[in-house]
Amino acid sequence: MRRMLNLIQNENMKIFRRLSTYIMLGLLIIIVVAAGVISKNTAQQASINTDWKTQLTQDNTTMQKSLTDMQTIPGIDLEQSRAAVEKNIKTNNYRIEHNLPPVQGKIVWGFVTNMVSTISIVSLFVIIIAAGIVAGEFNSGTIKLLLIRPLKRWKVLLSKYLAVLLFALDSLILLFVASFLVGGILYGWSGVGQPYLGYTNGNVTEINMLGHIFTTYAYACVNLLMMVTFAFMISTVFRSNSLAVGISLFLMYTGTILVTLLSKYSWVKYILFANTDLTVYTNGLPVAKGMTMTFSLLVLAVYFILFNAISWAVFTKRDVAA
Amino acid sequence: MQTKPVAQFKNIKKKIGKKMIIDDISFEVNAGEIFGFLGPNGAGKTTTIRMLFGLISMTEGEILVNGFSIKHDFEKAIVRVGGIIENPEMYKYLTGYKNLVHYARMYGDITKERIDEVISLVGLEQRIKDKVKTYSLGMRQRLGLAQALLHKPNLIVLDEPTNGLDPAGIHEFRKHLRMLAEKENVAIMVSSHQLSEMELMCDRIGIIQNGKLIDIQTVNDFLDKDEVVMRVTFTVDDVPKAKTCLNQMFQEQETLENESTISITIDSSKIPDIVAAFVREGIRISGLDKESKTLEQKFLDITGGSGIA
Ligand SMILES: Nc1ncnc2c1ncn2[C@@H]1O[C@H](COP(=O)(O)OP(=O)(O)O)[C@@H](O)[C@H]1O
Ligand SMILES: [Mg+2]
Repeated sequence: MRRMLNLIQNENMKIFRRLSTYIMLGLLIIIVVAAGVISKNTAQQASINTDWKTQLTQDNTTMQKSLTDMQTIPGIDLEQSRAAVEKNIKTNNYRIEHNLPPVQGKIVWGFVTNMVSTISIVSLFVIIIAAGIVAGEFNSGTIKLLLIRPLKRWKVLLSKYLAVLLFALDSLILLFVASFLVGGILYGWSGVGQPYLGYTNGNVTEINMLGHIFTTYAYACVNLLMMVTFAFMISTVFRSNSLAVGISLFLMYTGTILVTLLSKYSWVKYILFANTDLTVYTNGLPVAKGMTMTFSLLVLAVYFILFNAISWAVFTKRDVAA
Repeated sequence: MQTKPVAQFKNIKKKIGKKMIIDDISFEVNAGEIFGFLGPNGAGKTTTIRMLFGLISMTEGEILVNGFSIKHDFEKAIVRVGGIIENPEMYKYLTGYKNLVHYARMYGDITKERIDEVISLVGLEQRIKDKVKTYSLGMRQRLGLAQALLHKPNLIVLDEPTNGLDPAGIHEFRKHLRMLAEKENVAIMVSSHQLSEMELMCDRIGIIQNGKLIDIQTVNDFLDKDEVVMRVTFTVDDVPKAKTCLNQMFQEQETLENESTISITIDSSKIPDIVAAFVREGIRISGLDKESKTLEQKFLDITGGSGIA
């Protein structure tokens, strides 16, 4: 156990003693700052004329009207649409009553929430690390002196995988802290104590904002975890850094398109990318009929185990003739 | 000196594709000895060493280190083995020191003092805090040796270790290996394609060719003058006359002539007879050179005369 920690410490050292790592983390901070500055400028323009309470009241009137005008459109569930609009109206009323301005954009949490999409950049960076962590040892020849130690190969591999996940965690924490600080500096800290408004069984509920943000992060990390594990596998199997980055990024950016193109087939639900967005089960629609949260979690688990099993089998059995 | 086998190679075979790269090799390396593993390029030295380190699998056979099987009990077998396989590639973006810390952590019981000790042992104190990418080939070899010694192994395996070392470095290196073998009873296996290097350093030499172990010889055996057949080279003033003379004396032995020298492979006990005969014939001898022949001859045959530097 202690030596496993030592191994992880080693991998960590190899990640953080390289300039490229700091360039990536620096870029992440730059992106957050840039996004903050841009959104601040656009947000200011939009909010000059109206205060938010008037805006929400206006919105509610429009929505009330649409609720009465609503007609049955083929293919769209009337009840579902109604419920969605009702949810919005009730939430807006709750905001006006309890003096809770909308989170979107104009307070620190709004910015943090908007920045969740930056996790795809984090994915890119973690994929780059995952792609290099095994292949790099083969390319440089250092794999030999690494594997002649009194540690079975699977332990070495596991330490590398865990170091990658640790790096992902570091990057996510950095993203969170950076977007929190930038958001706070740009929009002020007054909104920090504000809750997130959830909606269950027709009632608006207050949810701890930090908890809500973590949930959002967790959902976004499903895709990250799967793609990173995939990149790690390619890196292990083909011992090629660029191949691992290339294939993983290609799949990451085309995966959802692929699923859309294939959505008329029923087997589309077994494709990894049809299951990586778990938010569809709370607000949205799954790609295929009959898909449930449990189903998606099962599919994800199967892919996860498969990727890791392949990495493990190849790494522990292969002749090292680098 | 004990002759306890530390490494035991038992009928090792390695087949890649249809090619038998290592074909039934068996030998042992004992505590306190330096074993030379000699063979031309492509003979299978590195492949054998990779199998010892568990880097590649064996098609057949078994390797035991300190009684533990590399195949079945890897962690116990490898824990007291140190070495270099081909070039000692290290992390170039780390300092020499961080590289050693990295390997030390993988054993779990190596102190900071021990790291400093091996650093001074290989003479890298001045540059140890510099990044490895700034090191010369010789310094990388030293660092390679340092990581091999870190955990006080009782078997050290070095694959062509003197590549890139200057003559002074090689001399020092040899002295150091000798010290480890004699004082600390470490078993050392060194591979090389150069006989001259092996002779100076090793106690026993195994010759490998095309994946087969051809012969194992004790270096002392053929330095023992009485028994041994060797190549004797005379520098004389009249080579043709000397040739006639030698051909009469040793009909079955070929001679090899040069401008002013003539060589013959004979039992060293015959040298006085030849000298006497030359004197009788009025041939003036201005030089005499003996070379332990048996091993070199074998090696020459193997390499086709090209492998000796
Ligand atoms: N992965 C491999 N695939 C096919 N042949 C190989 C492989 N590795 C080594 N060989 C062959 O095995 C033989 C022995 O190589 P090697 O052990 O490196 O020799 P040495 O170290 O004695 O120079 C060579 O003929 C080489 O071409
Ligand atoms: Mg070799």
